[in-house]
Amino acid sequence: MIPESKPEVDKTVRAVLKDVLGLSDERVAAFDDTTPLFGALPELDSMAVAGVLTEIEDRLGIVIDDDEVDGEMLETFGALTTFAAAKTLA
Amino acid sequence: MAGSAGFRIECYDWAGGHEAMLRCGPDSGPVVVAALPLFEEGNRTRAAAVDVLRRLAGLGVAGALPDLPGTGESLVATGDATLAMWREAFAAACASLGGPVHVMGWRGGALVDGAAEVASRWYLAPLSGDGVRRELERLRRSGGAADYGGNVISPAMLDGLAGAEPGTSGALRVVRLESDPKAADRKVAGAPLWRAAEPGTDAALQTVVADDVAAWVAG
Repeated sequence: MIPESKPEVDKTVRAVLKDVLGLSDERVAAFDDTTPLFGALPELDSMAVAGVLTEIEDRLGIVIDDDEVDGEMLETFGALTTFAAAKTLA
Repeated sequence: MAGSAGFRIECYDWAGGHEAMLRCGPDSGPVVVAALPLFEEGNRTRAAAVDVLRRLAGLGVAGALPDLPGTGESLVATGDATLAMWREAFAAACASLGGPVHVMGWRGGALVDGAAEVASRWYLAPLSGDGVRRELERLRRSGGAADYGGNVISPAMLDGLAGAEPGTSGALRVVRLESDPKAADRKVAGAPLWRAAEPGTDAALQTVVADDVAAWVAG
């Protein structure tokens, strides 16, 4: 099922970060909108970004163009989920 | 991990050479031939796929994991491999085995069995060649180098992947993870090991996959 609300999108993005980066349930459960990601999360290196974005595309049924990918969109958990929700719920 | 499965290394011949093939389980009866995900995804999932073969052997089902040209112990350079070569070699590996052959293809592995004459195909989270290419391009841009996440991949391989689709002829079963919204015959719980930043295994997922494949092969 493709998520149909912002909380469901948040839940999906959280699960993707857990699965792709190998983070614990506790760690991803503690993520809020202000949690810094790229540059702050050692697991999220540039190669892992590719896996995270592709997995988000698959689970949300969206396509992310590379020119949409920048530091801002990956800066915090809130920025990433806002971006993903804008694509999914559009 | 399951117990002893009688692993042994055999080989098979194809038009372009001689490749190694991991075998396990009984010498007769149906054989499950595994086609791993392609490139980096294959490295991340090999241990899990081999554990599935081990579990199948425990259930009395023979297994095989052929090296494709340019992978594993192959004398073919990785950068010289093409999809056509992989399809030809995989078909030769299947033909070299006695007993009915059932393919177990994971992800892009579902793109290499098209030329093989087999009793059935069982796919885990299959994707198109265009899907593989798209992910490779993203990986290359992320890495900022000429290779693809450390893999040297020829333009001929990329051309071969363009438009390639998993086989749909004959007996086919498609299984996907619960997190995957695409259609499937069955959805199973588990994390996508092929996307993980580090190679890993998931005993629960491997058990479910082995049981599902064994039941499918038994018809």
